[in-house]
Amino acid sequence: MQAEQEADFTLDLRGESCPYPVIYTLEALQGMNKGELLQVITDCPGSFRNVPEEAIAHGYTLAQDPVKNGQEYLFYIYA
Amino acid sequence: MKTIIQPIFQRYWNPYVVLLIAGILSALYFGLTSTVWAVTGEFTRLGGDLLKLFGVDISGWQYYDMVHLQGSTWNRPDGWIVWGMFAGALIMVLLSNNFKIRRPQQKRRYVQGLVGGIIAGFGARLALGCNLAAFFTGVPQFSFHSWIFIVATGIGTYFGAKLTKTRWWKGRPTLTKGAAKPSTVKKRIIQPYIGSAIAIVYIGLMIYFFATDQQLLGFGALFGLAFGILIERGQICFTSAFRDLFLVGRSVMAKAIIVGMAISSIITVFIISVYDLTPITQIAALSTFVGGVLFGLGIVMASGCETGMMYRLMEGQVLFLPVFAGNIIGATFLAYAWDHLGVYNVLAKGGTKINLLDSIGPVGAIIATLAMLGILYALTIFQEKRYHRNLTMKRGVKTHAS
Repeated sequence: MQAEQEADFTLDLRGESCPYPVIYTLEALQGMNKGELLQVITDCPGSFRNVPEEAIAHGYTLAQDPVKNGQEYLFYIYA
Repeated sequence: MKTIIQPIFQRYWNPYVVLLIAGILSALYFGLTSTVWAVTGEFTRLGGDLLKLFGVDISGWQYYDMVHLQGSTWNRPDGWIVWGMFAGALIMVLLSNNFKIRRPQQKRRYVQGLVGGIIAGFGARLALGCNLAAFFTGVPQFSFHSWIFIVATGIGTYFGAKLTKTRWWKGRPTLTKGAAKPSTVKKRIIQPYIGSAIAIVYIGLMIYFFATDQQLLGFGALFGLAFGILIERGQICFTSAFRDLFLVGRSVMAKAIIVGMAISSIITVFIISVYDLTPITQIAALSTFVGGVLFGLGIVMASGCETGMMYRLMEGQVLFLPVFAGNIIGATFLAYAWDHLGVYNVLAKGGTKINLLDSIGPVGAIIATLAMLGILYALTIFQEKRYHRNLTMKRGVKTHAS
């Protein structure tokens, strides 16, 4: 992985099925201060699409492109 | 080679395209076999097979006469639809190197999955069809029971979504400070080879069916495989179609399903007229409504319906083992309750089979169906907009207060 900004918080959601990854992600972002960076690790295939799309739809921005890591994805989202 | 492989196996397919193809294929399957793409009827039969295995005498159960419990699952085209869907999904998961044993961190999910699965299985069979026969393939058959079922499912999922939002239900995730390391990725990739081997065996089996003149089993196996491939590659989730509208204002799946049903309806009306087939009509009664509400609630509790459960299980999501078991338990219990506990007398007896083709003719039926789907589409957009308007308002209040 390239040199990225160190995440302030990490949400490790490995094993959780939809819709919980997207619910948890949005909740975590809501509780953080603006500008802080959240790292999300998820392996629910449904969440590969709905987590980044809903983060954006809810007004957050992705810090970088999603990283595919084997059977899981890493997302970096600014609160 | 890589340019072909990449978009097929490394990315999920557009749900609109997938459901369009699924809609066309299900109309075609009906034209070829006069049966529809369905799964829960077979789940009920599987429950019956298990009961017989344990020595229970089910010969007098009315429900099993109604769903034609004969032979074993390997000799039933509906059985091959189910196993084909499992096979198709598994092959796709393996070819895309995406199989992984995924165990939920929240242990409460297993209980939620089992209970939700039972309620969804019971409700689906009470209404005589799940999101397929009473929904995606029910509407294109112009069976009015599917109209009732859609409304009822919407109501059930609404309450399911409310439940999902409560703290004791969803649980608290572990939010840790700082960055964490992802899993180490295995260098050797073997899943695609296993997937290819299973695909070859399965193709051999289909050739065997057709070569030995067992056309119906062959078509079941072939279309089952195709449906399995499609739902996995499109991540088609009927549960999320309703639920996510209420939860996070997400509309893509609902819209794609409506478009797929519209296409399927148009093709089916032509197939029925040209080949003079009889559409599959189920009883519309109070049981349809009650079953639909229970189904909607159950699928949200379980995080997946009878169809979505199938490909998620193949992805290695352990949660869906209790959901699958629950679906079969619920469906079997309904088969028992149908005559033994008076469910038929109370909820279904007063119902009638209503088919729009008979009541208002083919032109009226297709116009009415497309109008209904149009209203559903409009409601979907309305709910999405409403969600985001409320969100902006809440944000505004928050910024103002702080």
